[in-house]
Amino acid sequence: MDAYLLSQYVLSGLVIGLIYSLMAIGITFIYGIMKMINWSMGEFYMIGSYVQYALLATVLGWDLWYLALPLAMASVFLLGIVVQRFLLRPMYLGGIERRDEYATIITIALMVLFRNLAIVLGGPNQFSPKDYARATSLLTLPISGNRMVALVGTVVLLLLFYVLTRKTWLGRAFRGAAQNRVGIQTAGVDVLRLDMLAFGVGVALAAAAGALLAPAFLVYPENGAISTFKGFEIIVIGGLGSLMGSVVGGLLLGLIEALGSVFLSPGYKDLYGFVLLLGLLAFRPTGLFGERERTV
Amino acid sequence: MLNALRTFLLAAVAAATLAVPAFAQAPIKIGVLTPLSPPGDAAAGQFIVRGAKMAAEEINGQGGVLGGRKIELIVEDDAGTPEKGAAGLRKLVSQDHVVAVVGQFHSSVTEAVQDLAEQLKVPVFLTQASAKKLTEKHLTYTFRTHVIDPDRVTLWNKWIQQQGFKRVAILAENTDYGVGLVEETKKQFASMNVKAELKTIIFDRAVVDLTPQLLEIKNWKPDLFINVGIGTPMYLISKQAYDVGLIPATPMLISYDAPARPEYWKNLGEKGTYATFIVYYHPTMKLTPRGEAFRTRYLEQFKEQPVYGGLNAYAQVMLLADAINAAKSDKPDDIVKALLGTKFTGWNGTVAFTRGDGPYWQQWTPPMLFLQYTKPEQPFTEAKIVYPPELKTGDLMMAPKR
Repeated sequence: MDAYLLSQYVLSGLVIGLIYSLMAIGITFIYGIMKMINWSMGEFYMIGSYVQYALLATVLGWDLWYLALPLAMASVFLLGIVVQRFLLRPMYLGGIERRDEYATIITIALMVLFRNLAIVLGGPNQFSPKDYARATSLLTLPISGNRMVALVGTVVLLLLFYVLTRKTWLGRAFRGAAQNRVGIQTAGVDVLRLDMLAFGVGVALAAAAGALLAPAFLVYPENGAISTFKGFEIIVIGGLGSLMGSVVGGLLLGLIEALGSVFLSPGYKDLYGFVLLLGLLAFRPTGLFGERERTV
Repeated sequence: MLNALRTFLLAAVAAATLAVPAFAQAPIKIGVLTPLSPPGDAAAGQFIVRGAKMAAEEINGQGGVLGGRKIELIVEDDAGTPEKGAAGLRKLVSQDHVVAVVGQFHSSVTEAVQDLAEQLKVPVFLTQASAKKLTEKHLTYTFRTHVIDPDRVTLWNKWIQQQGFKRVAILAENTDYGVGLVEETKKQFASMNVKAELKTIIFDRAVVDLTPQLLEIKNWKPDLFINVGIGTPMYLISKQAYDVGLIPATPMLISYDAPARPEYWKNLGEKGTYATFIVYYHPTMKLTPRGEAFRTRYLEQFKEQPVYGGLNAYAQVMLLADAINAAKSDKPDDIVKALLGTKFTGWNGTVAFTRGDGPYWQQWTPPMLFLQYTKPEQPFTEAKIVYPPELKTGDLMMAPKR
């Protein structure tokens, strides 16, 4: 195999891996703050893609996709806040014993509900927004305009997210809550309100991934399933709760899937990520950037 | 006490007498088990339901079957998954008491459904499931009025020979349909002595990013690319093949008739231009009076040409009504006997279910045509027939360089 083709495989894997990492960051961010896994993350991805499509097809027209993107994120952010306020917040009140089980049941129920709602409201067929941009190339890789937009959009959102968590008061509060939920309350932070915002921001990131990838991966009721699946793989590879781990884990997963599917067999594409995951768990159970729990 | 008993007995006799005509007029139920939600090809399922409903309306409008009993359709979603298909069939038979089932689309689902149908002793009709092994098993209760994959492969191999393609690449999903087509193509390349190189890649149907596989195929430099995806994978392959620059420079053959449906252009836009695809119905075809009546009604009702899935489901329900009348019974075993012993009018010719060799068991095959779109948003009715030669309305057109 020539180096040119190999570079194309590597680049295509890195591009898709980085886009998947947006989803993983949403999952790990919510986990970091609320200490719960949101199993319906893929459905927020799906809703983001539907809102994007609906806005473009009915209100904005196909060319204004860059306006639809923040609107799709904002709508899903609001939906996330409503879900958190009415369905998840109660488990943080009154000392519920089995909080993890409660969160699992609620978010799995949401997954089923949102998928079926999508079928009822939008029908079972797939939709596709028109291309966001013309095809171009990234070094040696011929790349669609849609994927290039998704790549640039992901990088911009990751940078914005970095600024939010590292350079703002709110970001400090988020990081504080991630380290110690009781401790942050002693500093006068309303941790329940913080949970609501964190859930909204996390699902808005998933919505952004759905909206950015809508023309490439289509809009249909089950389009979020694969992203959830990848997102969970990435956070375990990168380390649960680590934002850097999500990005590196995403890149690694994209790369290993691209190369494995070409050099071994495309029929087992999803297996390669799991082999990596199992190998990592055996030798480094906390993932690449995860930290061991410190207890006194 | 005696009076009370007498009154009770009289009331019971009266109730039973009244119930007899009501029972005699009870509708005969036919199940439609088809994909209506993802991951199945839900668009196909909707056309199948549409056709089946039109048949039931027509039969009931003409007085029903068996001297006045109405046909009632029970629609069930198999979602394109074997487990939902099997659960759907169980429900249709045990709860709804259907006498037959039409609408099977995905071969993998049909494989589960037909085995269960054999146990439950209810005839099941394959509307658009084409895997060879489905009729090769020689099951008593399985009937098909659709093409089988070896015939599909024979036709595309003949086309490859006629066009002089030298390097053919197939990208196929890992279902019974996709894997079956790949295996059959390999086999027939040898038996038909096709002078072309063949590259085949099978991918996991759940995967959405096929860029590495398409780059590999592009690098192999095929002069024909065959897209064996069903539903969403077909669209994902087409979009991503265009994005990496494989199509339209390399002609693409789509293995079934999805491009004939209205949503094709909405999903692909200009990326769908120059695709060649296999259909089983074309508006220029001469139909039987039954098929022609359906086409006219369909055009009036939906303001668009019927799609094959609808046409075939319509014909299957009509054929079942004929079989019920011929059997003078609504018992599944009597219906099976009638299906085997009678000739029926289909949409495109006379349908007879014989028990032939191999996959030609209780099988009727419609014609197959290769069509090509040469302009963006081209209506299905204007697509040129590029194969077979006797029906051809134009030559395969190569895309200009991008």
